[in-house]
Amino acid sequence: MIVRKIAAQDWITKEMLLIFVILVTLPLWIEQIGLYRYLGVEIVIWMIYGLGFNLLLGYSGLPSFGHGAFFGIGAYAFGLFQLWFFENLWLAIVFAIFASFIAGAAVACFVSHRRGIYFALMTIAFGQIFWFIAIKWHSVTGGEDGLLNIPRAAADFGIFAFDLDSNTELFYFVFIVFVCIVLLLWRLVHSKFGKVLQAIRQNEERARFIGYNVWLFKWVAFTLSAAIAGLAGVLFSMAQQGAYPDVMALHASGIIVMMTLIGGGFVSFWGPVIGVTIYFLARDVLGIITEAWLLWFGLVFVLTVLFKPEGVAGAWQEWRKSRTSTVSGYQTLLQFLSTKKR
Amino acid sequence: MTVSHIFPHLLNGLSLGLLFALIALGFMLIVGVMELINLAHGSLFALGAYFALTIIDPSLSWFTAAEDSYTALPLIYRYGLALILAPLLVAVVGMGLELCMRRTYGKKAEYGLLLTFGAALVIEESIRLTWGPTERYLQVPEFMTGAMLFAGLIYSKYKLYAVVLSIITIFLVWLFLERSPYGAIIKAGAHDSEMVRALGINLTKLRLLVFGFGAGLAGFAGIVMTPIWGLRPHVGIDAVIPAFLIIVVGGIGSFWGAVIGGILVGLSVGITGAYASDWSLLSMYLLLIIVVTFRTRGLFGKKSILEN
Repeated sequence: MIVRKIAAQDWITKEMLLIFVILVTLPLWIEQIGLYRYLGVEIVIWMIYGLGFNLLLGYSGLPSFGHGAFFGIGAYAFGLFQLWFFENLWLAIVFAIFASFIAGAAVACFVSHRRGIYFALMTIAFGQIFWFIAIKWHSVTGGEDGLLNIPRAAADFGIFAFDLDSNTELFYFVFIVFVCIVLLLWRLVHSKFGKVLQAIRQNEERARFIGYNVWLFKWVAFTLSAAIAGLAGVLFSMAQQGAYPDVMALHASGIIVMMTLIGGGFVSFWGPVIGVTIYFLARDVLGIITEAWLLWFGLVFVLTVLFKPEGVAGAWQEWRKSRTSTVSGYQTLLQFLSTKKR
Repeated sequence: MTVSHIFPHLLNGLSLGLLFALIALGFMLIVGVMELINLAHGSLFALGAYFALTIIDPSLSWFTAAEDSYTALPLIYRYGLALILAPLLVAVVGMGLELCMRRTYGKKAEYGLLLTFGAALVIEESIRLTWGPTERYLQVPEFMTGAMLFAGLIYSKYKLYAVVLSIITIFLVWLFLERSPYGAIIKAGAHDSEMVRALGINLTKLRLLVFGFGAGLAGFAGIVMTPIWGLRPHVGIDAVIPAFLIIVVGGIGSFWGAVIGGILVGLSVGITGAYASDWSLLSMYLLLIIVVTFRTRGLFGKKSILEN
């Protein structure tokens, strides 16, 4: 058996650097193209959410239609910690991630032995339960109005601290979290754990017969994905300075599925990043032109499922492949050989 | 707590359960025959009610004179027309959806789920654009409105009418599925599609008709239910959630599973409503989780390809 060493591209790639560079300069040019800085914050938060979600949908093949619940739990827990106890950014974040982790772990116990449609239906049911509690438990969650006036404490690193009051500062804070999550998830999906998840997606039975504890792998993937959704929820409640139940509704949970799929989450790590960008640009650019932008987004989604489930990333990969093959057969041969070797 | 205390809540739960069963019928048919979760069920439900709204009161101002003489007709005729015509229109929309759906057959079942979710969004947004986002009211003939006294308690007449209508519909669908040759073909198609094809039955056409029928039933349920629930573009979500809960509780592919599942869900909502009315809807999710934890395939479910 050949033990492959961990290669550099398991840590960092050109695409990753490109995306980091685009995002790190975003506050400099986003207003020049007629958009606003808060949109950047929102997009990066949802990218984190989408990347975590794709660990389930894209890598493990588990369509969760209730993921908004964990996003919402993160947001509420972040707010409640500060309103109940004291204002401290780090403790509140840890508390919120822990809350969504626990909720995710509990739900995962009920859904991990399921797959396909039954998995989707069970996640809808659990998602609805959490959404329902968020709406009805007025004394804690503030009911349909949500939790208001959540403080956004300064990020205190001990030696120095910086305020997160302006959208630019908040953007860089969110961006740093994004970089951490990207590095973590990239490493994770290229590790043995990630490979097993992909094996489960392709053929769960075979993965089980090889001897993997499929239930445990799915449980870990679900819980981790829920915790990341919770982290994104924290950032969202920081951005909005409030936590609202509508992010937990079935509608919102479905939107993240749609974003991930349109972007190409089935074939690419970057699928959700592309999908989230498309969604928010559609909302803000198409939304100016027509009130019916969600209708068009829905139609694009339907067409994607019908004709190109691999999404934008899949189309791009195919285009590049066809291009290299027409440019020179020699390159293709080289590519073929190099892939064979790995 | 004596029997007389709980009785009205039981009755309430039972009637709610029968209405839920009506909502779930079309869903059950499509999932049972085509092994396809139709998340657009709720949107089709809403669409039926909106079609009925326009049929009862077509303020299109295309042919003003004709419209005026039409709206001068007694409400009961227009309502009766809506009750027949609107489900047919929804059935046509459903058939259109089925035609799109064909590309996903043979792929993983999730694709059908994703596609119908997208379709639900598209239909809901179309409703919002066509009829506006505000709450509307579906008129019903006068003899159905008002209240009546029964066993010392006050009931709305409309609810009684809706329950009777749903019992009749459930019976007719049962007759069709279990006692007619068409039902036999439909069930055989779900059981062994290759054999049915080999017998020379056009399964492609059959699936189209079944999907249309299921969609029509959803639209019909929408017309019956929305005078109780109110009519807004996203009312569909209130219908599709109970429908799928009922089917999973009752077991996929079972007619009586759907009916009994509906009644169980209705009873649990009705009884918890007596003690904690705010939380009554939570009980149906808990019911689902309890049932599925102990009986993986629901109460009367058989093995289905959806488990793959």
